[in-house]
Amino acid sequence: MKYTIIIALALLLGACNKSFLEQRPIGTLDEAVLATPSGVNGLLIGAYSLLDGNGSVQSGNSSIGMNVFASMPSDDSFVGTIPNALLASIEGFTYDPTTTIFDMKWRIQYAAVQRCNDVLRILPKVSGLDEAESTQIEAEARFLRGVYHLNTALLWKNIPFIDETISYGAENYNVSNTEPVWPRIEADFQFAADNLTDTKAEVGRANKWAAKCFLVKAYMFQHKFDEAAPLLDEIIAQGVTSNGLKYDLAPHYFDNFSTATKHGPEAVFTVQMSVRDGANGQNGNTLEASGGPYGSPATTGYGWTQPKFDLVNAYQTDPETGLPLLTNYNDHPVKTDQGISSAEPFTPHEGTLDSRLDWNVGRRGIPFLDWGVHPGQAWIRSQNVGGPFTVIKHIAWKYRKDTDIEQRFTNSPLNLIRFADVLLWAAEVEVERGNLAKAESYVNRVRERAANPDGWVKKYINDNNPDEGFSTIPAANYKVGLYTGQFVENGQDFAREAVRMERRLELALEHHRLFDLQRYDNGTGYMARTLNNALEFHRKIAGFDYSYVADGFFTQGKNEIYPIPLAQIDLSTTEGKPTLIQNPGYK
Amino acid sequence: METMEIIFTKECRIRYLLYQTTKALSQNTRAGLILFLIIIAPSLAFAQVTVTGVVKDADGNALSGVSVRLMGSSVATSTDGEGTYSLPSVGPQSTLVFTYVGFETKEEPLNGRTNVNVELSPSDQSLEEVVVTGYSSQRKKDITGSVAVVDMDALKSIPSGSALQALQGQASGVNVISSGAPGAGSNVFIRGISSFGNTNPLVLIDGVESNLDNISANDIASVQVLKDAGAASIYGVRGSNGVIIVTTKKGQSGEPTVAYDAFVGIQLPLSGNPLNLLNSEDFARLTKIANPGTTLFQNGIPDYTYAGPGAAGVANEGDPAVDPSRYVFDPINTAGNYIIQKVNKDGTDWFHEVFKPAPMSSHNLSVSGGTEKATYLLSLGYFDQKGTLIESYLKRYSLKVNTTYNVGKHVRVGQNAYAFYKQNPDFTNQTQFGNMSNIFRMMPIIPVHDIRGNYAGSFGGPQLGSDANPVAVQERTLNDRDNEWNFVGNVFAEADVLTNFTVRTSLGGSVINNYNQAFVFTPYERREGNTNPNRYSERAGYSNNLIWTNTITYKNQFGDHDLNVLAGTEAIKNTARNVSGGSQAFFSTDYEYLILGNGTSNVTNSSSGGKNSLFSLFSRVDYSYQNKYLLGVTIRRDGSSKFGPENRYGVFPSVSLGWRLSDEAFMKNIGWLNDLKLRGSYGILGSQHNVNADNSFDLFGGGYGNAYYDIRGTSNSVVQGFIQTRIGNLRTGWEENIIANGGIDATLFNNSLDLSVEYYKKSINGLLFTQPLPATVGAAEAPVINIGDIQNKGFDFSINYRGNINQAWQYSIGSNITTYKNKVVKIPDPGYFDAGTHNALGSVVRNQQGQEVSSFYGYQVIGLFQSDQEVLDAPDQEAAAPGRFRYEDINDDGVITSEDRTFLGSPNPDFTYGLNLGISYKGFDFAATLFGSQGNEILNTITQYTHFFGSPIGNKSNVLLDAWTPENKDTSVPRIESGASFSTNGVVNSYLMEDGSFLKLRSLLAGYTFDNFRLNSTRSLKLRVYLQASNLFTITKYTGLDPELNGSSSIFGVDYGNYPNNQQSFQLGINLTL
Repeated sequence: MKYTIIIALALLLGACNKSFLEQRPIGTLDEAVLATPSGVNGLLIGAYSLLDGNGSVQSGNSSIGMNVFASMPSDDSFVGTIPNALLASIEGFTYDPTTTIFDMKWRIQYAAVQRCNDVLRILPKVSGLDEAESTQIEAEARFLRGVYHLNTALLWKNIPFIDETISYGAENYNVSNTEPVWPRIEADFQFAADNLTDTKAEVGRANKWAAKCFLVKAYMFQHKFDEAAPLLDEIIAQGVTSNGLKYDLAPHYFDNFSTATKHGPEAVFTVQMSVRDGANGQNGNTLEASGGPYGSPATTGYGWTQPKFDLVNAYQTDPETGLPLLTNYNDHPVKTDQGISSAEPFTPHEGTLDSRLDWNVGRRGIPFLDWGVHPGQAWIRSQNVGGPFTVIKHIAWKYRKDTDIEQRFTNSPLNLIRFADVLLWAAEVEVERGNLAKAESYVNRVRERAANPDGWVKKYINDNNPDEGFSTIPAANYKVGLYTGQFVENGQDFAREAVRMERRLELALEHHRLFDLQRYDNGTGYMARTLNNALEFHRKIAGFDYSYVADGFFTQGKNEIYPIPLAQIDLSTTEGKPTLIQNPGYK
Repeated sequence: METMEIIFTKECRIRYLLYQTTKALSQNTRAGLILFLIIIAPSLAFAQVTVTGVVKDADGNALSGVSVRLMGSSVATSTDGEGTYSLPSVGPQSTLVFTYVGFETKEEPLNGRTNVNVELSPSDQSLEEVVVTGYSSQRKKDITGSVAVVDMDALKSIPSGSALQALQGQASGVNVISSGAPGAGSNVFIRGISSFGNTNPLVLIDGVESNLDNISANDIASVQVLKDAGAASIYGVRGSNGVIIVTTKKGQSGEPTVAYDAFVGIQLPLSGNPLNLLNSEDFARLTKIANPGTTLFQNGIPDYTYAGPGAAGVANEGDPAVDPSRYVFDPINTAGNYIIQKVNKDGTDWFHEVFKPAPMSSHNLSVSGGTEKATYLLSLGYFDQKGTLIESYLKRYSLKVNTTYNVGKHVRVGQNAYAFYKQNPDFTNQTQFGNMSNIFRMMPIIPVHDIRGNYAGSFGGPQLGSDANPVAVQERTLNDRDNEWNFVGNVFAEADVLTNFTVRTSLGGSVINNYNQAFVFTPYERREGNTNPNRYSERAGYSNNLIWTNTITYKNQFGDHDLNVLAGTEAIKNTARNVSGGSQAFFSTDYEYLILGNGTSNVTNSSSGGKNSLFSLFSRVDYSYQNKYLLGVTIRRDGSSKFGPENRYGVFPSVSLGWRLSDEAFMKNIGWLNDLKLRGSYGILGSQHNVNADNSFDLFGGGYGNAYYDIRGTSNSVVQGFIQTRIGNLRTGWEENIIANGGIDATLFNNSLDLSVEYYKKSINGLLFTQPLPATVGAAEAPVINIGDIQNKGFDFSINYRGNINQAWQYSIGSNITTYKNKVVKIPDPGYFDAGTHNALGSVVRNQQGQEVSSFYGYQVIGLFQSDQEVLDAPDQEAAAPGRFRYEDINDDGVITSEDRTFLGSPNPDFTYGLNLGISYKGFDFAATLFGSQGNEILNTITQYTHFFGSPIGNKSNVLLDAWTPENKDTSVPRIESGASFSTNGVVNSYLMEDGSFLKLRSLLAGYTFDNFRLNSTRSLKLRVYLQASNLFTITKYTGLDPELNGSSSIFGVDYGNYPNNQQSFQLGINLTL
């Protein structure tokens, strides 16, 4: 007995078997397994999947949408809802480099960039992939890397460009943000434009023309109008969507925002949203989901992101010509139900309006898609601080609620670039190049759709039962007219403002506004003037409590771009010195 | 009772007595007693005698209160004032054991005698006590490392289902922090925070890694805490946070002993207005100041609020909008609901709507005994505590079986097993939007129920906020089930071989199984999510821990030399697997209907798993010369699967020395000094806590939410994608905890006073810490690497005094104090990391070089701006205005920027202390247990909400009645306003800081032990009853519910809404032995 035990003990001492300490991870893959055609394509899908801005694996990373960064601080929308010091600091330009959401957004952007780089790093190791397939994967990955960098550059301008040579293993991940980044972004789009096919078997993938449009966008932000012009001509003449439709405006304005009518001729590059797919809504429109009417059946979000009075007023049209009022539209504002409870009677504004208003802004007395007539306060979280309006574009139709809504998320598409955007760039380019008549024709092409009563919001047949459908009676006094030579007549300055106004009306709340102002500004102070005027205007509205941005002020030379997150500057420290340099004006 | 009457025909009197007792107790107790009587029945048949005698000391003085116990049982009595005793029902060949504080224990075999007089001599009995330490045991007096031995009587005096919670304040250097939620885990710190991750010590129950949360103190024989390297290095990598060694009770040879311990009690919620919230009238008045346009209070407090499709408003009695005929309600399809709520004009006391008095009871029955050849112990436990938070509870059924067998003269085999089943619904404590926060997020004007008795809430009117009715949240847990089955145990064999060798093998482990069901109702009363479909999920998991330990011990004495050598191996393997599924939109919410297949949408499933292993060699040498000079050396080599091949193995040595000065000739003659020992140790412990088993691997994966994409544009389906999920690091290796410890142990004054003072310094080098990486590496999980150093130093002090006022009155005082000085020595670039997120404040904690761990970081408030002129004169500050905070310009550059943030305090106490007092007088015993913590600060995020209207809509604090106005400037409370800003509650600032020092009377207990009931000639029954009050007071300046706040180690001392652990409770208990 005793010896048996001693022997057993000795055996165990000797049996320190190495394999006992080799424990393989469960439920994961390694690089070797992914170095196959389907593996690398899976990584590419992973790179696409952050287009929605949501779903980074790192814990503690909330996803913050461009609605926060581009619409709230602009004259498009309020934070809305309730006082939240953090979001209020974005709207009032009182943020600083420690404001946490900058760090969150920065992390998401570079997480996405490295997903693209993972594809490019593994691609050379894949066997069994023919040259053409390999090129398509490379070009799509570089396209996406360009998109992610471009959006990052819009927010911060001075950013590091992270390519596939930058990795943890190579220990070279502290990359300077003082090298020019636009040439690198252009190079990625150029490669994609040169190599991608015209169409794609899967509609969500980027094609050649999407790459060209993004290249134009990169030019626009560098004011390279002469480079953009020929490319725009080519795109407008020959461009097709990835499912092979010739670029054109969709028949109705709201087709671009409805799940049922997406994949139309206007869809240059669209983020494909999906709900009821097993992800608990996480592939849906998560970043917009906090917005929308509060306490209405259409959404269970938080009632954030409410349109500003300034935006609504801008949709007024001249009762004679149906043209927008380029200035002073706030002098005689659109009538609202601010301060009027849902139980009290209210008649909506009776003056002439652009038809796109009611596809952008939910307001009292107007049908809110097929969910019912907007009741005003009952669907607003705190009207006194958020205003009387709600956003619409990401809201799903009631008749499709069983397929298009999951919790507060919808699968309404997010258009990164749509053809109207391209046309208005073309108009902008032609104004700057002095081709005012050509610019006017692009603007009129966009306005024609808005002027067509087919695409207007109509009254319900029965207000008490929206399910009975819509009548043919317009929901408000819409009047949209075309320009008839005013561009040439009134000159370049007028034309410039007319194009800018058209962009604002057409692309409202699609989170371009702040960046458009940034582009228009180009050192002139245009952005500071516009936004300080808007702050001032909203502080004076009777019955509206704008005290949460009482101290808001846009500082020229500073607030055009956001501060590099201090956390990232600190993390970039090597040998005692930060690699990342803060943007001007921030300390 | 019928059956029993047949069994006990001979013992009518006792049966009657027990029957009466039984009747008086609850149903559960009765069931326990029946079982207990069945078990003792066979033992009542032996022929037995009564033994009497007198106990005196060496001077011939009678000793009263001497315990006289029958060896191998718990049959016992004590001597009276004349020193005489009488012990009935004793076997004529048994042995009596005489024990008395301060005297040597004496064993006296009867050998047929019925009168036994004994003389006791003074002794250093407490020092002779043998203490279980790492893989072996030592005499307490010979210990050279730092080992705290817990007083088991004090431990048992805390009425808790968890031995761990009872450990608070019972051992110097050990700080236990718990919440009041039944069954909730505790944070344990041995000598301060020594990690940014898991700080919990290794808990070994009979040598098997387990936890103390689920074991009753009744099943425990002893608890030792190993605090320094000298004591714990033998556990190598497992011991970095300290080791708690628990030995459960074993049977002793002799007649079967039956013990029944039980208590019933009631716990009371905090009284008064513990969160100091406004009533409806003040709330309405202040709301109008903050928000003059308020819809709710435009015309005073309305009688009703209502909401329905496209409608939400206020109304007074008679308004058609609140005509009950308009009321429409469907709990599942809520879109058409039209809800009418009658405003509570007095104000709903939400705290006491969810916190109610709650009963608890505990029953523990054990039978133990044995022969020379074998011993056994069987223990059954039942613990049932309702939480004061409605619908919270812990029910636990436990079984313990320990046996030993002597096979021949030299071989012993045995087993220890502990199994329990518990039902304990999860309660999410200490989160910003947990149900604790709904208590202050709900306005006082909202009633609990609407006019038709359905839940009222933020949906039923305009501007009522967005949060959930806390009563609804708790009551809607009715379809939730949380079950855990846990089995821990080992089998061992031990043999004496050759002359001085003992070999031992032990195979042990644990198996934990969970099964949970969770159902989420449609929160129809809530403004947010009121149309969400109901959801249901089921989850199951198991985890295995297998541990095989083999040791060989050599023990010998040559002349003055005493040598003890141990060598061993240990192999550990952990595996776990979980599976879960869910679906939603169930037609019925009836529990019996709920199976996953009945859901109609959003069907999900998932599973996960993990495994890791550890293999170790270790050795320990204890040597003493003349019992005066003591040396201990340990070494352990660990290999772990968590590290890559390059750094897989680590070696952890320690050495400890002791010098018993009192045995030196020059001290021998000091009469009042019984024992004096100097000791010191130095050594290294390791840690692999906080290291994921996959840490060394580059891994890819991803799921629906983060990697899949609808590339085909279907709108309702996705294509699989992959992303990098983890960055591996092959160089990561062991964390080293270098501990130096020095101390003095003394026993004085005729062995009545034990004193111990220790100084410790614990340096954690190469701290295992998730590498802070810039975003440019991507978002895959960063590896844990060896960076960062932390240091803790301080003193542990403990003192125990036992005294007699006279023969009848005896008392004891035990106290322990631990001081801490904590410092982060090094964190890699940028030299800090932030933690503790709050959705309005951002990170509240910064761990930075030179600061204490988990320090709060923000702006220092130096007062309120009193005038516009002051604002102009002061350094530029965002949103500065009269009535708002003025911050200190730390860097004196004339502008307040993020550079002006500073360290506002830390949750690390300067010291913690425990105090146990015991008094006995004849049959009476009294005990008090106190625990205190001094110098810890709290960041109270609740005030960020309740002291500011510039936070989401909900109730606010009474302090706002004293808010700043141009007329009321002599206040620290900022002005009332609707917005939040940098200069109010938009950033972390010192306004949120509070002193968290406290002193709690954890327990006050009075017991009475009855004279023994004689059952028959051989057995007697010992009965003690006691009455106990817990948490009679908490002395603190903290304005929140309870300054004792648990959390995770890198964000500690932040109050996000905590289930308080300072609620009073009252218990009535009995201890019955025969």
